Amino acid sequence: MLYPDVHFTKGEVINYYSRVAAVMLPHISGRCMTLRRWPNGVDGASFFEKRCPKHRPAWVPVAVGPGNESSRSRQRTNDDDSPIEYCRIEEPASLVWTANLAALELHAPMARAEDLATPTLVVFDLDPGDPATIIECCQRALEMKSMLDALDLAAFAKTSGSKGLQVYVPLNTPTTHDACSDFALGMGHLLMKQNPDAVTVTMTKAARPGKVFVDWSQNSRHKTTIAPYSLRAKPTPTVSTPVSWDEVADCAGGEYLSFTASDVLERIDALGDLFAPTAHLQQELPV
Amino acid sequence: MPRAIWSGAISFGLVSIPVKMYPAVSPKAVRFNQLDGRDNQRVKQKRVNASTGEEVPYDDIVKGYEIMKDTYVVITDDDLKSLAPKASRSIDIVEFVEEDEIDPVFYQASYYLVPDELARKSYALLTEAMAEDGRVALARVVMRTKEYLAAIRPTDGKLMMNTMMYSDEVVDADGIPGFEELDDVKVTEAERLMAKTLIESLAGGFNPDKYEDSFRNEVLDLIERKSKGELATAEVHDADTDTNVVDLMAALEASVAAAKKARSGHPTGDASGATPAKPAKKAAKKPAKKAAAKKAAKKAPAKKRAKSA
Repeated sequence: MLYPDVHFTKGEVINYYSRVAAVMLPHISGRCMTLRRWPNGVDGASFFEKRCPKHRPAWVPVAVGPGNESSRSRQRTNDDDSPIEYCRIEEPASLVWTANLAALELHAPMARAEDLATPTLVVFDLDPGDPATIIECCQRALEMKSMLDALDLAAFAKTSGSKGLQVYVPLNTPTTHDACSDFALGMGHLLMKQNPDAVTVTMTKAARPGKVFVDWSQNSRHKTTIAPYSLRAKPTPTVSTPVSWDEVADCAGGEYLSFTASDVLERIDALGDLFAPTAHLQQELPV
Repeated sequence: MPRAIWSGAISFGLVSIPVKMYPAVSPKAVRFNQLDGRDNQRVKQKRVNASTGEEVPYDDIVKGYEIMKDTYVVITDDDLKSLAPKASRSIDIVEFVEEDEIDPVFYQASYYLVPDELARKSYALLTEAMAEDGRVALARVVMRTKEYLAAIRPTDGKLMMNTMMYSDEVVDADGIPGFEELDDVKVTEAERLMAKTLIESLAGGFNPDKYEDSFRNEVLDLIERKSKGELATAEVHDADTDTNVVDLMAALEASVAAAKKARSGHPTGDASGATPAKPAKKAAKKPAKKAAAKKAAKKAPAKKRAKSA
């Protein structure tokens, strides 16, 4: 029983991940995935697992990715990252395997393993400071969308599955983590100028009550963001769900956006993968 | 995932329980680097010969113990090695004592002891027996090259180990100035009653979540604000709120340039804010701020789109 409040079992988690694999894999394959595991269910303790477990099946490939930033590795190697072999999730069977490890949450970096220096997308993680909610996030996301439209950049939104909303701008062209971070922070500042009372780019909690925090720092090399279609470890099995801009607009008007595993499976049948273009659409940052 | 820092076995009479040791606390002080204030370059330390001022190669540095002014006995690594406690892989329980008898001043670092797979049964048995008995175990344990006295106590079905100070490491209160004079102080019954009433009015259960390191939070906040300081000024001058395409591009260029400048000015050269903010994210929620938060939300416009929409 991984979600005891709603009697959602590990079997159901595995069923969800096996059925969502077809639309999820294009967004996570080839990346150094971080697993976040809840061996005793969402009410128990969790841990992040960057290093792919030694007991992995032979058919789960690994890739070397950014070293962890713990003080231990910093002491040993000063500023050089020590290499870590991450799991790569390339096929439905791997998703079943991670689900069986109670890896409810899968977190992905912006770059692919084959080219760790080149993020393939820019992410704006809109995180509401209490008492703001996803509704305020959607309002800010629409403002961001109109700016991105003006810059001729297509953007795609998904719920974080937790409290917030994420906006992705696919690039799939040569760029750097620094360029993406600067772009995201720059956009964050413009958004903040339009709405100083409603937006912050400062991570400190104290600066955030009632504001939407535009987390630009997730574009850095060693950071990861919850993957599209990943479950979240909330009391109910909510999912980081790709949504249409019409839905974002409805949400900005006051309709909460939140989808559980079963909602998402129905949405995929009806709508397909709203995030599909992010895997290949080629765009360039304007600055 | 936390990493075990030691593995060995709890040895208790004829019983041996293989365990791994994990740190039970992770202090979160803000760490600073030293910089040259003129150009913000890192300050590097050099070891120099106090007499000649010349740099001393690492290999030439030896340990000396000052026995009288300017007179040292040189102690080599081999000397120490011959004395170092044998790298024992066991936590030897020597006796059981009442927890109340141990003054908290003795406690040092806290660790969890986790049983190996095959030792779960005997571990659970020891934990349960100790919980019922109520006494804590005193043990000797060698970690790295130091031998520690340690207290082992059961909490919630788990064993926790605290390394302890030795008694000659605890400072005797008698030597501290100002305590002796307390003997002459007299208090009246009325004063004592008032003090007790005051204590009663502040009495509560121990709830550590209520407290947070507000100084650390303020330091982190200050770091955030300072790391964004340049941006704020650059923006006011360069960027414009107009959102027609040309101005948006200009504003974006200015903002991105400011972001770039802030990042390159950051000592690590990495995205500013990423490192200091991590602990801030974990900071406990502050219920006291809720009132302020509500106010901010009311001020926020319900829906406002960019003018170019």
